[in-house]
Amino acid sequence: MPYWYYDKKDLQNTPSFRDGISNENENRYRKEGARFIIDTGSKMDLGYNTVATGVVYFHRFYMFHSFRTFPRYITACCCLFLAGKVEETPKKCKDIIKVARSLLTDQKFSTFGEDPKEEVMTLERILLQTIKFDLQVEHPYGYLLKYAKCLKGDKTKLQKMVQMAWTFVNDSLCTTLCLQWEPEVIAVALMFLAGKLSKFEVVDWNGRIPKHNAWWDMFVEDITMELLEDICHQVLDLYSMQAQPSGGDSPPIPSTTKPPKNEKKPPSGTPPTSVSPVAPVVNKTATPVKNGAGMGVGMGMEPRPELPRAGAGAGAEARFPLYGAPPGAYCAPPPRLPPPPRLPPPPRLPLPLVYSEPPPSYPPVLVPPVPPPPYYPPRPYYPPP
Amino acid sequence: MSASTSTPRSPLSSSSFSNVNGLLPNAKKYEEINVIGTGAYGTVYKARDLLNDGHIVAMKKVKVALTEDGIPLSTVREIALLRQLEAYRHPNIVRLLDVCHGGQSMERDQQLVLFLVFEHVEQDLDSFLKRSPGPLSENRIRSMSYDILSGIDFLHSHRIVHRDLKPHNLLVTRAGRVKLADFGLAKTYDADMKLTSVVVTLWYRPPEVLLGVSYNTAVDVWSCGCVLAELHTRAPLMPGTSDSEQLHCIFRLLGRPSRFEWPDNVSILPDSFPDYPPKNLADVIPNIHPDALDLIRRMLVFDPAKRLTALDCLEHPYFTDEPLM
Repeated sequence: MPYWYYDKKDLQNTPSFRDGISNENENRYRKEGARFIIDTGSKMDLGYNTVATGVVYFHRFYMFHSFRTFPRYITACCCLFLAGKVEETPKKCKDIIKVARSLLTDQKFSTFGEDPKEEVMTLERILLQTIKFDLQVEHPYGYLLKYAKCLKGDKTKLQKMVQMAWTFVNDSLCTTLCLQWEPEVIAVALMFLAGKLSKFEVVDWNGRIPKHNAWWDMFVEDITMELLEDICHQVLDLYSMQAQPSGGDSPPIPSTTKPPKNEKKPPSGTPPTSVSPVAPVVNKTATPVKNGAGMGVGMGMEPRPELPRAGAGAGAEARFPLYGAPPGAYCAPPPRLPPPPRLPPPPRLPLPLVYSEPPPSYPPVLVPPVPPPPYYPPRPYYPPP
Repeated sequence: MSASTSTPRSPLSSSSFSNVNGLLPNAKKYEEINVIGTGAYGTVYKARDLLNDGHIVAMKKVKVALTEDGIPLSTVREIALLRQLEAYRHPNIVRLLDVCHGGQSMERDQQLVLFLVFEHVEQDLDSFLKRSPGPLSENRIRSMSYDILSGIDFLHSHRIVHRDLKPHNLLVTRAGRVKLADFGLAKTYDADMKLTSVVVTLWYRPPEVLLGVSYNTAVDVWSCGCVLAELHTRAPLMPGTSDSEQLHCIFRLLGRPSRFEWPDNVSILPDSFPDYPPKNLADVIPNIHPDALDLIRRMLVFDPAKRLTALDCLEHPYFTDEPLM
């Protein structure tokens, strides 16, 4: 089975980077592509799961291809199109293209070629091959709801916190977090962040046992504070970047005109991050966290008895090449398995089901003034507002 | 011819992707060795996994008719589910190692050729039974029965109905364990099968399917009951040669159902069959363990609602009273 998690080094040395696109630009393309999927999806009333699945396909796709070869907006359309089929919320290709056209400038839409639908059809097959037909994707949303149910405390505050965390998860799609960490870990981290920002401190939870120091110990073992902060910063950095102009439109041109290595943006392009009003945290004190096979395994998604995968097997094994695995590695005892995880979570909580809905108290600008939580590392790069 | 992931060329010369040649990795991943079998829905090849030390795999080739909106939703769903099931690595389910599709040349006339790459298992239950020099030991039968039912229960708990269980698609590993194969693509096959006229075996087909009424997971329990009987006798329990002949076979064994048991909305009426009296299953399967007999009897029930479920079967005294070997 394919393994879809990468460490930061891999995320810097991508096909696009090797094709002469700087990491900053690639991250911007990723963000814009993801945002475009979210916008197109909401405009078409597609559910959050479909949208998130499309975005995950998008990020995975560009771990194998360059943005120069495959312009981001048509790839984004194709990802949403395929996600619609997988999540059983299919949309006609021509309708997706229609919405895309309405959201894009003529110049951006020109990357769709003369017969956009045919292009998307061709791309669908390339996409399927690239993501290795591994179509079912899990997202943090379900975990968020599940974790929230266990937390005790003021209902209104809890509700507010979950709502904020939900929005963070939406926004995290614009980062490469889904290429770094399992959805459970992202859910914990962003709920942690929302708790900090909404001043909801979780002091008690259902199922607490003495060895638990924090509520998430119940769900994911060995999660470190460094890891949580690293994930939170990756999301928070999005908001500080939003203050910048989005850089040139220039989609990387398919290789007819070969730009120089590591293209230099014209002055009008992305300004260096350091001059942005709210500088992103450049030097996180968080210790470099190894993911994937290294720490990921140690991080033990293993003891998650609630997970439908029933026991140690699936989580850990999915990380290793199939062939080497011993036969009969499956050791879940009686084959009584819980219902398939693809069942939609019962959306009982009145959560923002549509992307466009902004969180009540949290426009991005509000983020900087929030006093850093006690054990955030000092952030020397923070300029005074 | 071989499965390759290479160069899906855009049909348009103006395409933005006109030069993706060679961009996709692993231009050739598998090399066919020979045909293992030809089914209703394509061919299964024995092949070599070139990126994996020539490891032997079984590669199933399925043709998918492309629709106006590309790859059909049902196929996408089915493959997604197969991939998802794989994460559980159930011991009684054949491993799905990879999925890929053929290159452009095969996509003429709006067809896409899919390759599903499975672990290669040396033999199936059909040939295993044929090669067996004598009756299987009671322990062997019981362990194989349990394996099959565990696999079925696993599929059912994921809302997959196999629909075509038979010795031919039950694989027997060298260690003697049984694994289910050839499931989960029912809708994909259906679309494709309309194009081919292939003889499918009817011997394991339950009455509700033969009568054309709606069916559910209970169909697999029926088929499994037939297979369990066959493990004892090494001969098919009800070898019908046509749909109606198959129904005759079933009623000769169970007795003709009464009018009250007969499902609604069926064009054939019970009167069209002779009033067969029920046979004693113990006479049909001599020397069978009484618990095994009771289990099979409760699986081969005309009314699907009254059949045991696969989980019920696993909890039957046949498996619980004495430890499995």
